[in-house]
Amino acid sequence: MRSIAQRLINYESPGNASTGTSDTAIFLVTDRLRPHLATLMGNSGFRALLARALALASAEVSSLRAIQVNADGKLEGLKTLQARLRPADFREARVVLLAQLLGLLVAFIGPALTLRLLGEIWQQLEADNVDFGNGDKK
Amino acid sequence: MKKPARTAKLSPPKTSLPKIALTKKSAGHRAKVRIHKLSTGVPGLDDILGGGVPEFSLNVVAGAPGCGKTTLVHQIAFANATPKKPALYFTVLGEPVLKMMRYQQQFSFFDDAKLGNAVRFINLSDVALEKDLAAVLEEIIAQVTAANAGLVVLDSFRSLARKAISDVGEVEVQSFLHRLAQFLTSWQATTFLVGEYVEDEVRDNALFTMVDGIIWLSQVTERNSVIRKLQVMKLRGQATVPGLHTVRITEDGLQAFSRTQGLMGDRPKPARRRRLSTGIPELDKMLGGGILEGDSVLVAGPSGTGKSALATQFIAEGLRQGESGIMAIFEERPQGYAQRADGFGLDLKSAEQKGALELLYMRPLDLSVDETMQAILDAIKRVGAKRLVIDSLVGFEMALAPGFRTDFRESLYRMIGALTGAGITILSTVEVEDNFISLQFSHYAISFLTDDILRLRYVEIDGQLRKTMVVIKMRGGNHSKDIREYVITGQGVVVVHPRRTDYAEMSTGIPHRTGPRKAQENEAAPEPKASK
Repeated sequence: MRSIAQRLINYESPGNASTGTSDTAIFLVTDRLRPHLATLMGNSGFRALLARALALASAEVSSLRAIQVNADGKLEGLKTLQARLRPADFREARVVLLAQLLGLLVAFIGPALTLRLLGEIWQQLEADNVDFGNGDKK
Repeated sequence: MKKPARTAKLSPPKTSLPKIALTKKSAGHRAKVRIHKLSTGVPGLDDILGGGVPEFSLNVVAGAPGCGKTTLVHQIAFANATPKKPALYFTVLGEPVLKMMRYQQQFSFFDDAKLGNAVRFINLSDVALEKDLAAVLEEIIAQVTAANAGLVVLDSFRSLARKAISDVGEVEVQSFLHRLAQFLTSWQATTFLVGEYVEDEVRDNALFTMVDGIIWLSQVTERNSVIRKLQVMKLRGQATVPGLHTVRITEDGLQAFSRTQGLMGDRPKPARRRRLSTGIPELDKMLGGGILEGDSVLVAGPSGTGKSALATQFIAEGLRQGESGIMAIFEERPQGYAQRADGFGLDLKSAEQKGALELLYMRPLDLSVDETMQAILDAIKRVGAKRLVIDSLVGFEMALAPGFRTDFRESLYRMIGALTGAGITILSTVEVEDNFISLQFSHYAISFLTDDILRLRYVEIDGQLRKTMVVIKMRGGNHSKDIREYVITGQGVVVVHPRRTDYAEMSTGIPHRTGPRKAQENEAAPEPKASK
């Protein structure tokens, strides 16, 4: 899960793929996921799922408790958090949050449908031969 | 899952009329439109619907929660959706899509390769909650137009209508439905509105007047059994099969069992029919040469009179003649059956291995006759069976859910009619109690269902309880009127005596002697029984 989360964050910040320090990468991933998931679940459904992922991630990375999900299903407080944390810690927080969100999707609809859903947004996933068993097969 | 062109407008579809063609039977006849029918992908349902769901029709799938409505429409959607003509599944204030996908993917028909391109889920709950019906309609039009949908599902329409009625009133809802129906039909989409309705609502709710088809699902509870039922309450322009049909949900989704299954296409029996040997030469003589092919024979008798043995001999003789067979057994286990046959020198196992025989063991307590019949028909098709044994009707009845037991005679009539109509010769056994007052054939009063009746019974003669058989009836020809004594030996049922003229009232089971007493030899041992 972490490996795919990392990969998605990298997709959205190709210039910083090696370091992954783009402070907007986490926004871009969730921003791109939101309309697709909202089509399926409605905005309120997406908001609930993201809030649950945040709660789970906060148990792992306590600094994420400063983040909130607003009424539009967007994350608030991420930039403030970035200013407080070292780049590596901030990156870890984003990976954990996204991994929890993906984990919830896998728990609900299974790895095949989750990958299919992600593949509609990030076609590179298919080319990279990714799965949830070991992150990727390469 | 692709975002539609939100600016899409209501315009004529790009497609022509590929599947509707004007046909002319012959010159001078009025040309009629031929309505293409969509296969539901639900085994058995297309026949009940009269061929399938009419294309471009607007249908309601109704019933109480848990009846299988959502699974049914999913099955239809996956069976018909293609990337070019996708199915759009709109969810409104009902089951969340994630949960729907979570559970529906467990069914074999759920093809995840179709998800997102051929089958697309769209949540309309936010629009319905935050806006009005006009916005909902606008969203549906935009999505259907953008996707060029061939099939549309609205689940749950009931929830949407209920909210709208409380907000704006019933007239607005009817207006919405009218505009929705008009758009979807014009757009050549076949539509299913899913809703939790109760039957009383059919009379008062205008929805049911407006739609083309109503498929009603229900669960019937009787004592500890629950049976799913399906009824096609309405389907414009098609001859559907009336009545309540059994539905079962398995890992493959829904399967429907028509209550008139097998009666369609019933062929009359040929004028000249072969006579089939029972495997008991003396009994064949009593039957005027054997059982007429395509007959239904009832073998009635009390416990221990050799009904199952006789049935096994009938099947084994068929196998010897190259006629495959099916034994539907409801009381004994197949292993016991095969072992008894072994004891008679009849090798059922080899026939099973060669695919010439199937022993169907059916004991679940919530079977419907239709399901049983489907299982038997499938087995007959598999092995190309000519002979069928049902052992026994009492066990068959016990295997049925209590709700079906009340209709057992009617169901049996349909089943036997269907099978003999297909040229299968059926031998059914039934246990009857000897009461020594009268000669009962069956406590079901089902003798009218059978062409031939063979009655086995115990008779007290010379201090022994012996067994006799008599042919009571043979519809297709003359038969012996003799009451004959038989024994069960290592060869099975063997008729050993000609008719007795030294006794009267044999049929009562307690005859009295009219002739001279003959010297009796003591029997050294009881008659042998098959080892198990």
